[in-house]
Amino acid sequence: MSRPFSRVTPVAADADASVLVALEGVGKDYPKVSAGGDRLRTLWGLLAGHADIPRFRALQGVSASVRRGESLGLVGENGAGKSTLLKIIAGVVKPSAGSVRVAGRIGALLELGSGFHPEYTGRENIYLAAALMGLSRRETREKVDAIIAFADIGQHIEEPIKHYSSGMAVRLGFAVATALTPDILITDEVLAVGDESFQKKCIRWLERYLGDGGTLLPCSHSMYHVQTLCSRAMWLHEGAVRLDGDSFDVTREYLTYHEEKGRGEKPAPRAAEGLVPLIRAMRVERADGTALEVLSAGDDMVLQGLAWSPDGRAPVLLFGIVRADGTPVYGAHSNDDGFEPLRVDEHHFAFSAHFPAPGLLPGKYAVRVHALDPEGLRLFDTQERQIVVTGRTRDYGLVRLAHSWKAGTLRPGAAGTP
Amino acid sequence: MSATVYTHRWLLASFVRRELGTRYAGSVSGAAWALLHPLALLAVYAFIFTTVFRVQLPLGAGGASYTAFAAVMLWPWIMFSEGVTRGMESIQSNAGLIRKVAFPHALLVYAAVVSSFAVHALGFVAVLVVLAVLGEPVHLVRAPLTLAFLVPLAIAAVGVAAVLAALQTLLKDVGQVVSIGLTVLFYGTPILYPLAFVPDSMRPWMAANPLTGMAERLREVLLTGGGLVPGDLWLWVIALAVAWAGLRFFERLSPHFEDFL
Repeated sequence: MSRPFSRVTPVAADADASVLVALEGVGKDYPKVSAGGDRLRTLWGLLAGHADIPRFRALQGVSASVRRGESLGLVGENGAGKSTLLKIIAGVVKPSAGSVRVAGRIGALLELGSGFHPEYTGRENIYLAAALMGLSRRETREKVDAIIAFADIGQHIEEPIKHYSSGMAVRLGFAVATALTPDILITDEVLAVGDESFQKKCIRWLERYLGDGGTLLPCSHSMYHVQTLCSRAMWLHEGAVRLDGDSFDVTREYLTYHEEKGRGEKPAPRAAEGLVPLIRAMRVERADGTALEVLSAGDDMVLQGLAWSPDGRAPVLLFGIVRADGTPVYGAHSNDDGFEPLRVDEHHFAFSAHFPAPGLLPGKYAVRVHALDPEGLRLFDTQERQIVVTGRTRDYGLVRLAHSWKAGTLRPGAAGTP
Repeated sequence: MSATVYTHRWLLASFVRRELGTRYAGSVSGAAWALLHPLALLAVYAFIFTTVFRVQLPLGAGGASYTAFAAVMLWPWIMFSEGVTRGMESIQSNAGLIRKVAFPHALLVYAAVVSSFAVHALGFVAVLVVLAVLGEPVHLVRAPLTLAFLVPLAIAAVGVAAVLAALQTLLKDVGQVVSIGLTVLFYGTPILYPLAFVPDSMRPWMAANPLTGMAERLREVLLTGGGLVPGDLWLWVIALAVAWAGLRFFERLSPHFEDFL
């Protein structure tokens, strides 16, 4: 499946000239100032230039470089340092460690309605915001109509910003940023606010901007936006870089992390030996019998198991595949499928389940096998193996369902059309 | 400083416009307030000193009434004290901007000082014209010379405001101290009284305040029609030194403002 937006691949050769942002071991400490004495001590420390003031570490050891035409998306939990890093690149925050080099004009949309004055009308705020980005009055006057057209908020443009909804303020902010076509555009979670049609407009604009060689540095909780707009992604965790790489790989790892974090359910404890049916051995392998831990799209998967029965009667077996967060994907009983395991000796039964190209979407999964009594009523034992499914796809959900697209049969005016 | 101002002249203009706008655009009577506040003060002082205390001005005042005498330094003082106060608050009241947009923070201080001086300079001219029409010995031809005093006053106000703005951002409770300090300075400067009224033993102390010399000189120029003297350059020297030191202090701390807002 190809991605819907054109993306410019960075040129590997003649590297340094095209580097727009270079971060070297960037760290940021915020002074802890609760009591008045702390404030005085901090003031003294800053003036004298020494560092022994109480601090809170927001960011440490972040190194990265972004080339022209490349887009780097920041992902991470709340408080991971994404906004701080974007502010450092935008020049709003001074890093306490490391160096930041930025070439080119930056347009920064940090949070909602950056730089807008609430008492002023939208139109007046356009002039102020444009001046903040370095435009003269005359240059702004030439662009103001295009900005108002892009924001598309109708008569509200003549009303004070304080009467705007957050969505309208963002539309205006984004419209000003578009008029400037900066070399680097920094957006801190702003795409999530506009309504559907404005988001589409923004995405279309960003697509053209990126196509023309623009560089985007977004921070977003929408993995969809990161995947579609960015070639690279960086996962910040507790102020440090946890992963930096291809946006698909990084977002997948990040989502998996959340799946595991959100998992409440623990596998059942091992049943008592010798009295009840047990799973003695289990392994996940490929069609050729080699062990399988990473499954690529299209690979076959085979589940091999050895069950033990206390009384020599064949136990009922149940396999189940769950996503790392515990969401069940699929499971089936051996007796429902009419399967009898192979008796190996008096107590042991061998079985296997075959999954030709199982169609699991990328992520981490657990494959489980359970031993039930011969009636298939009580579950006694569970064994589990982890597998990782890799691949690139923008499909939604857990599994890929077989489907195909064809020309439709509906026509205008037919039943079922509005 | 001048380079920053030039590169960001559009932004500075925008800030000044906004300063003026937020103060007067929202209110019904608009710019009238800018004139009304000093006029009310002048009326009160004139009443207290001419009707209650019955002050007789010395002959050096060129035959001006007490009202004209006090008005000459009252407007410059209001420019200064308002510029300093608003400049001090300018960083904190624009916290939203500083947290989200990168720009030289000193522009906010400049804008606060420039707008205060601009507003009250208009009021000053209006009052001088009215006084002259009422027959006071105001030498309107000398009015342009007041720039030689008001410009260094503004430059000094930038320096003082820059230090206070930085301190206010980091320490939060500077405002209280400053309002006391400005009151002391107001009465400690010969604005409402001539320096001649001050006992000889106190005069050297008063003279250490550059505003004292400025008050005396402004009245010489406007009320007795005197010209500029080389000694007036001292005001410029002091003002530039204050501004240089104040802005250095400010720039030292300004990268950290975002941490404290």
